Amino acid sequence: MNIKLTSPAAVAAALAGLMATAPVLAADYVQAPGTGSTLAFATKYDGEVFTGSFPGFSTRISFDPANPAAGTLEVTIPLAGARSGNSDRDSTLQGEDFFNVAKFATATYSAKGFTKTGDNRYVANGELQLRGVSKPVAFTFDWTPGANPVLTGRATVKRLDFGVGGGDWKDTKTIPNETAISTVVKLQAK
Amino acid sequence: MTIRNTRDRWGSVSQGLHWLIALLILLLGIVGLTMGELPRTPKFFWVYTAHKSLGITVLVLVALRLAWRLYAGAPEPVPGTPTWQERIASATHWLLYVLMFALPLSGWIYDSATGLRPFRWFGLVDVPKLVAPNPGARDVSHAIHEWGFWLLIAVVVAHAGAALYHHLFQRDATLARMLPQRWIASPQKD
Repeated sequence: MNIKLTSPAAVAAALAGLMATAPVLAADYVQAPGTGSTLAFATKYDGEVFTGSFPGFSTRISFDPANPAAGTLEVTIPLAGARSGNSDRDSTLQGEDFFNVAKFATATYSAKGFTKTGDNRYVANGELQLRGVSKPVAFTFDWTPGANPVLTGRATVKRLDFGVGGGDWKDTKTIPNETAISTVVKLQAK
Repeated sequence: MTIRNTRDRWGSVSQGLHWLIALLILLLGIVGLTMGELPRTPKFFWVYTAHKSLGITVLVLVALRLAWRLYAGAPEPVPGTPTWQERIASATHWLLYVLMFALPLSGWIYDSATGLRPFRWFGLVDVPKLVAPNPGARDVSHAIHEWGFWLLIAVVVAHAGAALYHHLFQRDATLARMLPQRWIASPQKD
C-alpha cells in the first residue's frame, strides 16, 4: 500500500479531520461527569472556620489560552444541595435568611472575556446571580492545559451584597462578609 | 455543722455540693428540654451557651464532690437499716455519680461532634473540642445525653422518694442529716 500525502484522497482526509476537530480547537469544554470536580466555600462563625460544598454544580467554558478575551464561562449552582457537615446548619442555609432555596433554587455565574494575569493564570470579571441579586464578582483561575484541562479557581463573595445571612445573621463580627469560594473543575471537550 | 462528714451526719462541704449540684441539674434539665424550641438564630444562641457552661460547671463540681467523698468518707448507714436497703442505697449513689459524669461528658462530646460554633465557657474561656465534627459521634452522644437524662431523673426520683420515705414513715435521720441542723427536725422513733 502506498498512500501519497499529496494525493487528493489524503488531502480530503486531512481536511475532513480538521473539520471534525474544529470544535475542539475552538476550545469548548464542559465539566466532566462524575466526581473530581468541587465547588466549596469557607467562612467563619465566631472566629471558627467552617466549610461547605455545592454538589451538583455544572460548568461550561469556552477558552483558548491564545485568545482569553474571547472566552466565556457559565456555572450553574443548585443551592438546595449545599452541604456544610451539619444538618441543622444545612437547613439554616436553605432557609429564608440565607439562600432561600424555596424562592431562588440556583445561583449562576457568567463571564465573558478573561484577562491573563500570569503563567496559566487568568481573571474573569463576571456576574454572580444569587438570591435574586446580580453583582460583579472577580473569579481568578489557573488553567492546566491538556486533552482534559483542569480549572482551579477562587473568588471572594461578599455575602451581604446578595442578602445571604440577613436578619439576625447580619453581624459581620459573627459571620464575616467575605466568603472564600474555591473550585476545581475537571473538563472535557464538549 | 462541721466541714467534714461525721459518723452520723454529712458535713457542710458534702451538703453544699449535694444541693448545689441538684439545683443546677434541675435548671439544666429545664433549659435543655426547652431550648430546642427557640428559633435557631444568633439572638438565642446564648441559651445554648448557658446550658453548656452550666453543664461544664456541674462536671467540675461533681469531680470535686467525688474527690471529697473519697477523702472525707460518708456517714454510717442510719442504725437499723437492713443490709439489702443499704446495698440498694449505695448502688443508687454510685449510679448517680456515673450519670452525673456521663451527662456533662456526653453533652460536651455532642457539642464537639456537632462542630457548629466555638464554645466559650460563659463567653469567657475557650473550651477545647473532645472530638472532631462527626455525625456518627454526634448522634450517639446526643442519644446518651437525652436517655441518660431520663435515667438520671428516674434514679433521682427513687433516691428522693427513699429519703422522704425514711423521713416520713421510718422517721429516721436519713434526710435530716443531709440538711443543716434545725432546718427540719430529725424525727425520733417512738
